[in-house]
Amino acid sequence: MDESKCIACGACTEKCPKKVVDTYNAGLAKRKAIYVEYPQAVPLKYRIDPEECIYLTKGKCGTCKKKCPVDAIDYDQKPENVTLDVGSVILAPGFEPFSPAGLDNYQYASHPNVVTALEFERLLSASGPTHGHVARPSDGKDPKKIAWFQCVGSRDMNRCDNAYCSSVCCMYAIKEAVIAKEHAGDDLDCSIFFMDMRTHGKEFERFYDNAKNKSGVKFIRSRVHTITPLQDTGDLELRYVTEDGALKTDVFDMVVLSVGMQIPAELVSLSNKLGINLTPGNFCDTGTFTPVETSRPGIFVSGAFQGPKDIPQAVVDSSAASAAAAELLSGVRNTRTKEKELVPEMNVLGDRPKIGVFICQCGINIAGVVNVPKVVEYAASLPYVEFATDKLFACSQDAQDSMVDLIAEKGLNRIVMAACTPKTHEPLFQETLTNAGLNKYLFEMTNIRNQNSWVHKNNPELATEKAKDLVRMAIAKVAMQEPLKETELDVNQTALVIGGGIAGMASASSLAKQGYTTHLVEKGSRLGGQANNLFHTAKGESIPEKLAEMVKDIESNDRIKLHLNTELSNVDGFVGNFVSTLSSNGNEETLDHGIAVVATGASPYTPSEYSYGSDDRIITSLDLDKKLMAGDPALKKLNGALFIQCVGSREPERMYCSRVCCTHSIENAIELKEINPDMNVYVLYRDIRTYGEKELLYKKARQLGVIFIRFSIDNKPVVKTENGKLTVTVTDHVLQLPMELEVDLVTLATAIIPNTDEKLANFFKVAINQDGFFIEKHAKLGPSEFPTDGVYLCGMAHYPKPIDESIAHAKAAAARAVTLLARQKIFSSGTIAQVDQANCAACGVCVSICPYSAPSYAEKGRFAGKAEVNPALCKGCGLCVASCRSGAIHLKGFDTDQILTQIFEMDEAV
Amino acid sequence: MAEKEPKILSFLCNWCSYGAADLAGVSRMEYPSNIRVIRIPCTGRMSVKFILAAFRQGADAVWVSG
Repeated sequence: MDESKCIACGACTEKCPKKVVDTYNAGLAKRKAIYVEYPQAVPLKYRIDPEECIYLTKGKCGTCKKKCPVDAIDYDQKPENVTLDVGSVILAPGFEPFSPAGLDNYQYASHPNVVTALEFERLLSASGPTHGHVARPSDGKDPKKIAWFQCVGSRDMNRCDNAYCSSVCCMYAIKEAVIAKEHAGDDLDCSIFFMDMRTHGKEFERFYDNAKNKSGVKFIRSRVHTITPLQDTGDLELRYVTEDGALKTDVFDMVVLSVGMQIPAELVSLSNKLGINLTPGNFCDTGTFTPVETSRPGIFVSGAFQGPKDIPQAVVDSSAASAAAAELLSGVRNTRTKEKELVPEMNVLGDRPKIGVFICQCGINIAGVVNVPKVVEYAASLPYVEFATDKLFACSQDAQDSMVDLIAEKGLNRIVMAACTPKTHEPLFQETLTNAGLNKYLFEMTNIRNQNSWVHKNNPELATEKAKDLVRMAIAKVAMQEPLKETELDVNQTALVIGGGIAGMASASSLAKQGYTTHLVEKGSRLGGQANNLFHTAKGESIPEKLAEMVKDIESNDRIKLHLNTELSNVDGFVGNFVSTLSSNGNEETLDHGIAVVATGASPYTPSEYSYGSDDRIITSLDLDKKLMAGDPALKKLNGALFIQCVGSREPERMYCSRVCCTHSIENAIELKEINPDMNVYVLYRDIRTYGEKELLYKKARQLGVIFIRFSIDNKPVVKTENGKLTVTVTDHVLQLPMELEVDLVTLATAIIPNTDEKLANFFKVAINQDGFFIEKHAKLGPSEFPTDGVYLCGMAHYPKPIDESIAHAKAAAARAVTLLARQKIFSSGTIAQVDQANCAACGVCVSICPYSAPSYAEKGRFAGKAEVNPALCKGCGLCVASCRSGAIHLKGFDTDQILTQIFEMDEAV
Repeated sequence: MAEKEPKILSFLCNWCSYGAADLAGVSRMEYPSNIRVIRIPCTGRMSVKFILAAFRQGADAVWVSG
């Protein structure tokens, strides 16, 4: 397929005689041998499956070549080897889902109603084979009972070799169950069979709680051994043992296997070729303090190849890997940039509109349904239309060239393009206007393909009428369009990082290495934050040693200006042009900066539960780290040590998991066992959440003899000191009986609580969630930035996280910031709000309503006190325009008159 | 189709519903043609004025989606 020619009309697919299994829909549907992977594919280009194509496999057929209107089919294309000179490489090869086909006890290979979670995902999807209606594969029946099995291909060394936890399956299973219930209604019975429920992500614990208590999803702690199909019915019988040891039998309509992630064999051999080290689970080996660096310098890694992870974490990693590569390559930034020559813009302000209308045939895509000549003829008859014509393919290079000529020849000053969708093609046509010396906003595109000919193909006459209406509406609108200006704004090249903990330091270091002067502000008297209290990482690295290296790196970097004992007392300005006031011991100085990174961290919770404070043998995790760091000789003499998990976390008033405490306690339990193998070490927990390869630590702890006892939130352990004896009473989950444990040390794994800073939130106009953490731009796709332009977020101010994730997040925030800094200048869009200040009543509704803080009160001049909109901040949503009671705000390009004229022209009888 | 089809004017947000309407086309779904779409930059742009104007203009239904 020649991608430069393919217009994604789909004529090839329609006529292709070869049907094959649709892998995108997890094998649940068929597609053709020439196809587009999925409808949202970008770029939208078709491709030939060389293993299935009849022409490529047998030398006959050639139907698609005959049907293609633009001659894009090229059967002779061969794979090419391309040699690139690069300064660094980023590996983002992903993972493969575990295949349960070999697990005969689960009947996946033999029974259609046993599906993987990925297959179920396609069943739930509106673009999937059932359009989002969950139907049982065997008979299309609506299922009434669905079971999910967790840890299929994860945390399992018996039936597969994947000892690690895949991190994402608990959450996706809950999501699938909730969505299935939302679609099917309350009578759908969803049960999730699990070992430990691992909802350690931001907002996940609350989602889990709502799934259980509001949506009515059932959670059953049991690993089902066998599925028995009931003959002819399609139903599946499960036998499992409940927590109290009772054997149960239940029948389900469908079973969903929550399959884990694994690294494909070819990736292992690629890694060998590249000479990079892998972990025991075949993931790419990285250090805690270098979370995106492979063992080979210059090669970086992101995504699930670095370890099983969800989307936000993969997005963070990918930004972090780009920062790591940019640190290496910042010296050559922009050395291969080419400048475009600009055609001077004609001044058409005040000229009578002379509209050119172009109707695209899109081969037969539009012309096969819509009577294009009729639409052209009709358009030519409308007011202000100077010229109307059709184009076979308006987006082709020759059509673009001829448009440039026609604009000059006919003196056109407004253009209407009736074609596909502005979402993909508006920028292309606007560039044509620019090339013709016409302001690119003197343009209106109307959609007569995706929203007309493609969806009304059986009603050519009605589609033609609709096309006429749409063209008339577009002409009326463009006639009222004015040339718009894109305001240019310089970006101050200085960065400000707030918070001198691990995240703040890592972010400042990355920004400085990428060439930017960075001010690092820390309110305390030393760098390091909470990491000063930590002993070693889950991978065994010494935190004090690594921290000292980081601090030295910061202090010796000339580009980093360190401000200890300093806080922000004011922030003015906006993206690219902030002015902050730094206060230190009563002295104030102002700082101009282009961007800000918020890395204000979090703090340990001081417990009131479990008799904390009444006895110095009851301590917190950080207290134990201190003892371990100091090499406290008393530790060796302990006969019994006990850890209590979830102290202050996962409680109704703090409905989140602190993410690090399970791993932290287990590390320390192992440490104690290694100091004294005879010590009795107990961990009392609710769910063990050693996600990813941290699971191996959990396994090691059990092998060393650490005893794990589960308790439930409504039956918590009781810690008592009597006659000098420290005892803990807990109901054992296997025996269902209370046990009394006499120990010498109780360690409380306390929650991580946010340093909620409302002042800072107000300075940068960013939001805080109900738990007190900052809210990022987008939970999945924008985890390292705020909705406020030029302000970035990392570390525990976002959510509790271990050091490796904090450093990756910090680098990610730096990468996001550099995308702005490196541009040096930013241009506002032309389609933004503007205040007609003479009509402004200064009521302030726009100022209070704007999510981007674009409107403010003018400080000086004739209209002081009236609203004005900062073009750099305005996103052009129009909220202020719609809410202005005086009609004083205008949205350029979508002004009230322009929308009203479209409404008035909607249905003129022809 | 029935004799009398209602005239529907829709205001679709550029970022979601307008894209979804495009996707319906890419997926070759079919729906009745008695709908006209006005693309708006965000449903925040929506004003009661537009809805009233549409009804005054003879629309039988107005659909705002975003």
